[in-house]
Amino acid sequence: MALGIFGQMVRSELEDVVGEAFVSTDETDRLVYSTDWSWMAQMWLDRGQPLSKPDVIVHPGSPEEIADIMKIANGYRIPVVPYGGGSGTQGGALATHGGIVVDTKRLSKIIEIDEKSLKATAQAGIINEQLEWALNEKGLTFPHYPASSNCATLAGFLAARGTGTISTKYGKAEDLVMTMQVVLPNGTIIRTPAVPNHSSGPDFGRIFLGAEGTMGIITEATVQVDHIPEARYLRALLFEDLSKALEAGRRLMTRRLDPFVIRLYDAHSTASQVKRVLGYELEGSYMVVGFDGDPDIAALQERKAMAIFDELGARDLGREPGERWWNHRYDFYYPPKSLKLPWMYGTTETVTTYDKIEALYWAKKRAVEETYADHGVQYIGHFSHWYHWGVSLYDRFIIEEPPEDAEEALTLHNRVWTTAVRASFEHGGMINDHHGVGLKLGRFARMQYGPAWDLLVSLKKAIDPNGIMNPGKIGFGA
Amino acid sequence: MQIIDSTPISDNCRYCLMCRHVCPVGHVTRRESLTPHGWGLLIASVERGLIAWDEKTVDVLYACADCGTCRANCVTDQALPDAIALARQSVISAGLMPDVVADLDARLRQFGNPYGEPSSSDPVAKAADALFVGDDAKHAWSSALDAALSLLERAGVKPALIGVGRNSGYLPASLGLYETAKSIAEANLAELAATGARRLFVLSAGDYDAFARLYDERLGLALPDGVEVIEVVSFLSGAAESGRLRLRAADGLGKCAYVDPTHAVRVASRHEAPRRLLGTVVGGPPVELFWRRERAHPSGNTALQFTQPKISNHLTYSRLDDAKNVGAETVVTECSGTLAQLAKHAPKFGVRVQGLYELLAANVA
Repeated sequence: MALGIFGQMVRSELEDVVGEAFVSTDETDRLVYSTDWSWMAQMWLDRGQPLSKPDVIVHPGSPEEIADIMKIANGYRIPVVPYGGGSGTQGGALATHGGIVVDTKRLSKIIEIDEKSLKATAQAGIINEQLEWALNEKGLTFPHYPASSNCATLAGFLAARGTGTISTKYGKAEDLVMTMQVVLPNGTIIRTPAVPNHSSGPDFGRIFLGAEGTMGIITEATVQVDHIPEARYLRALLFEDLSKALEAGRRLMTRRLDPFVIRLYDAHSTASQVKRVLGYELEGSYMVVGFDGDPDIAALQERKAMAIFDELGARDLGREPGERWWNHRYDFYYPPKSLKLPWMYGTTETVTTYDKIEALYWAKKRAVEETYADHGVQYIGHFSHWYHWGVSLYDRFIIEEPPEDAEEALTLHNRVWTTAVRASFEHGGMINDHHGVGLKLGRFARMQYGPAWDLLVSLKKAIDPNGIMNPGKIGFGA
Repeated sequence: MQIIDSTPISDNCRYCLMCRHVCPVGHVTRRESLTPHGWGLLIASVERGLIAWDEKTVDVLYACADCGTCRANCVTDQALPDAIALARQSVISAGLMPDVVADLDARLRQFGNPYGEPSSSDPVAKAADALFVGDDAKHAWSSALDAALSLLERAGVKPALIGVGRNSGYLPASLGLYETAKSIAEANLAELAATGARRLFVLSAGDYDAFARLYDERLGLALPDGVEVIEVVSFLSGAAESGRLRLRAADGLGKCAYVDPTHAVRVASRHEAPRRLLGTVVGGPPVELFWRRERAHPSGNTALQFTQPKISNHLTYSRLDDAKNVGAETVVTECSGTLAQLAKHAPKFGVRVQGLYELLAANVA
């Protein structure tokens, strides 16, 4: 790439900070860092269309180096895009405005594992699975098991407020974080308080959770960890009626039976996904439920749950299908088992309260299926992250024969998404539960937040007055 | 079955991030383009006209170690290393072979190995068993061969030697030099056939994978009918268990770590055998490295030691650093190529290097 005089000067400044080996303007790097795990970026390249590329990629080795990079970028008003695992599905790591991509993966050290307080401190570019392996050596686990565990970084899933398979008991990533170190756009390095629960003023650290790199770069975090549970009891059930299955999940949660997982597939997912990946041919709604921890307590919780399932007419499929699901829970995301191009697909997941969830599901299904019937759209969903008050719906649309033309395809993709998100809003749902907003859903942020959106914009302006941090994401503009 | 069309593989891998965390090259370089999905995306993007092969992009293509860790950790068994090797072959066909690869090709064609020393042309003996010696055990770390032969003899095996000083064909196959790889592999197979052996013993996981998989998948070559490939460590472990080989405890090694050799991840059933043998002589299970078993990273003895020595050295540093982090004083493995790489840099890390075969041979009861 020809950087020009200014670009070369900036590159030299960046090299002074991180060293020549850790600055790249190579075409291959620019190509690879131009995409992430979002359908729109992948489709764009698949159709032979180039994406906006970063001008330069830097690989800092310390928070101080990141601070110096920020000072350079802020001084020259150059966009900065933090890049962790690149596993975001909403285009949050796309360098839509060029600029500097800051790959955080050299910051991967585990700083401390505290076996007494059950917390681990690591640099935030560490891949989740590597942190997990290190904890497992000590009989511990970080109870954040996202499907992206192999590829998402600690900073990445905190910045996107990600969740994992066992969030129903252990919480989302944001619930597990205790403290963070963050580099602000002006290069200041700050720390949030050492403990998450106190009454010492507003919890300003929360502003960086879900900010997707628009407010600063998370460089270190301390998270709560657990002992690897002594027992994990899983089993599967089949419900003829989705309504009863949702009610079963609600009762488990509101009676605080503390399942670590409830995964409920709708009939379409059961017939397609469950069959394709697990090999079971079933009609109805397939549910996996699990209890863990002390074997006696987990067994008792499971017994109580079984009584509820029985009351609601569920068919007990036994342990094997539950354990099989657990052992293969990430297989759904390996191509060609995963949804993949040239198909069009999108995960329009959302979350709402128990009183609204069923109506929301049917309304979305109807809206998407009826509006896009001519495109042969399929709508599938599962309910996977359960709270005391409600549940997330992880729903997806699939069009197997989308338009060939990239722009036409993206337009249709956006329209389907609009239909789905509007249906969510009309039934009390959020833009989403855990995939973040990124580039894809920024246009819905103002709709979601109403007048409160201006407050968020003011905060963004106060923290990043020059608008250098990840421009164009979560609706903040450049 | 030979893989001849890499497009479905690179298309599957280009956006998949599920094995990136186990890629050793990605681990030491931290560059997205030097990871499985980076290579997949590069190949797929060339096919789509988004980028072209030139000196720099070819350099990226040649940065993959062909260690197999990605495939070993892939739920859907994507043969990305084979797809990368095929892409290298097409780059060579397009006249873009890097100079360093051309030099290696010349040496491999002339000598059958990259060391510039002629392979043995002695006629092979007839025997029920054969042992493939290869080039590393002849030219890089020769004490392993004598030790392995004495151990096999103790266990009742006297093999005919084949491929003495000759590469298995892995190196040229990794580099996309399929014609060269094929002619080297055919020479090895001709010697194997001449022995009439039904059992082919090999000294390392890489040699096992060459004969048991790579010849078929990458080169379209078959072993003589009915020949069983056996890793010497697995055989010795069985012999020790059945009492045919008796070992005693060794002194003075300090805390020992076993280093899984290059390609170990490709031979899933082999992980326990060398650990059991080492455990017998050191009096307990060896210390485990962080990157081990199915996620084992190679040391620098891949094609990268010749084509991209900087990355190769970092792979070795990373193994030694791993050993240091777990408090190991001695690192042990049986693979000659791995031993040679570790020994080159071990003094900087204050770690001793010990060949497993030599250790076992010195401690036969």
